[in-house]
Amino acid sequence: MWKSIVYKEWLKIRWFLIGYTLLGILGIGYLFLTVKHGFAFSGGKNIWNSILFMGHQFFSPLKYVPLVGGLTIAIAQYFPETVNKRIKLTFHLPIGENKALLMMHAFGAVSLMLSFLLFIGMFTGFSLVYFPVQMVTDSIISILPWFFAGFAAYFLIALIVLEPEWKFRFCYSVVGGFFLTIYLNSPFTGAYGPANTGLFVLAAFLSIALLFSAYRFRKGEM
Amino acid sequence: MEKISRYLLVFIAILTLAIILPKLYWMAFEKPIRKPFILYSCINDDFMIHRISEKTWEDTKGQQYTREEYEQKLPMMFEKQLITAGSMPDSIKGIALDMRTISKAKSFFRLKANEIDAPFPELYPLFESQSGRAKLDLPDDFFRITWRIEFIDAATNKALEEKSQLFSAALFQKGFSFPAKAISGLATPRKSVDEGYLIIDSKDQLFHLKMIKEFPYVKQIDVPEGLKFRYISCVDFKNKDFYAYLFSDKNEIYILTQDDYQLIKWPVVGFDASNCDLKIFGDLFNYTVIIEAEDHIKAIALSPDYQVVNTYTETWKLKEEQTEGKIFASLFPAQVSMTSDNSKFIRFYFTFSEGFNWLIVNLLFVLLHLVLLFRQRANYRNHAADLAIIAASGIFGFVAVNFFPNKFFD
Repeated sequence: MWKSIVYKEWLKIRWFLIGYTLLGILGIGYLFLTVKHGFAFSGGKNIWNSILFMGHQFFSPLKYVPLVGGLTIAIAQYFPETVNKRIKLTFHLPIGENKALLMMHAFGAVSLMLSFLLFIGMFTGFSLVYFPVQMVTDSIISILPWFFAGFAAYFLIALIVLEPEWKFRFCYSVVGGFFLTIYLNSPFTGAYGPANTGLFVLAAFLSIALLFSAYRFRKGEM
Repeated sequence: MEKISRYLLVFIAILTLAIILPKLYWMAFEKPIRKPFILYSCINDDFMIHRISEKTWEDTKGQQYTREEYEQKLPMMFEKQLITAGSMPDSIKGIALDMRTISKAKSFFRLKANEIDAPFPELYPLFESQSGRAKLDLPDDFFRITWRIEFIDAATNKALEEKSQLFSAALFQKGFSFPAKAISGLATPRKSVDEGYLIIDSKDQLFHLKMIKEFPYVKQIDVPEGLKFRYISCVDFKNKDFYAYLFSDKNEIYILTQDDYQLIKWPVVGFDASNCDLKIFGDLFNYTVIIEAEDHIKAIALSPDYQVVNTYTETWKLKEEQTEGKIFASLFPAQVSMTSDNSKFIRFYFTFSEGFNWLIVNLLFVLLHLVLLFRQRANYRNHAADLAIIAASGIFGFVAVNFFPNKFFD
């Protein structure tokens, strides 16, 4: 059964996931092309100096990339389920309703995670070519909350899309929108260090949020 | 499982609201506190206070001055204006004045609390201190101190082995204990000369490191036993009296004199590096030390040999003590912020409201929720946890439990 669910989810998100991942790869490639260009024209020492002492964040174009990924995959996966209330079919499968939902959700989250891991891996690998490990570590500390925001956005969109009442969709959107801002402050490089664990835990809390709106959806249908 | 997911959502909503609602409240109602600009006058040996928003100039006895009179009392600060106006004295206290002498003695230093609790770079450029050039050049490599000092070439991102070994050996021979706890210096070529870095090693020993003719210069500085420095800020003043201001873990302020490496403690009390901003104005006759805290400003005038000659303190109400603050403390039991004026780190900064007035408002929200439940003919027992959440978190909990309703759990 789980293979069928995974296949169904794959059919829904594949082109969005592939498209988003390709765009992300191109984006990271472009980012490091600008770094390479900067090294060639300004000199490595000036680039390092501007990053270390003048607040330049070479990775800042990545800020909304994970957020866009979370929104894209969540909409691709859950919006079709609300058209003609197709999600009801899932609830009639001969496995637990929550189990079916969590399998769908886990597939989407893992797909997103693989995409994010690819981005972070590429970012780390290219960064290590141009910068010493200390600068790369600080950069990763700074970009991690953006990726947590990508997951949080994915979980929140699932919650909002499956909610049956527009009034509460609005309420969830207000809370969710403000909640995401805590991941997207614009601080000094490395400033998110003390908060990252807490932000990760909060994003993880949201991973089962859709069970709430799905429950309301089911009850609303009965 | 659905119940757990709902309570997690309620928790996240409470946290979000505890960040957003207080922020919006203060954006709407906070009144700015205009701190006075205070300097010590070498003319009337008193502090001169400029209240910028009121456009008044006065001394500590309340004597009012015109702007021109005020500037004449501070000839070391407004020397260019006084020369233009033709009112610059030839000498003060028997010391003949000329622009060069005044300019050489002038210094200004500023330290904000959030500069201390901040992420620091882990790589620094080590300039050539005696290059023979009029201007300093940014070196091609940057150093880091881990188990040794390592110079990394920025163009290739590779360690320069020979240089790293040379400097590591020099530090090791002087008793440096790797790694470094703190590295302080002026990492910019925009300075008059290079004096390298002051480095605290892993045993809290203090070292001076610079590069002279491509060779290391390392000096271990005698530090009194038990003295630990929390933060060091190097300076580049024209008079070259000292290398740096050093701040101990007991909030004492030291200076490190140039060339003879004497640590001199300034008789300044009342400074707390975790929540005070510091300004130090130096001139031919005095140092004016300004400590700006949340609810007061303290000015200390020091003589050129660093003895206290006068102090002045002015206090004001904290925003929490003002009407808006009291209303805030009644409405909201706490606030959470991701940023702080006293730190550059992002954290969850929790502040609980003073007093217990918020409990009354919380109970009002509990009653309001009970009314809503009554109108819905809900079973109260199913909502006991929600009521407890509202009792504890007030408006945040009330909004959260109603945004994520549990009517389906009846």
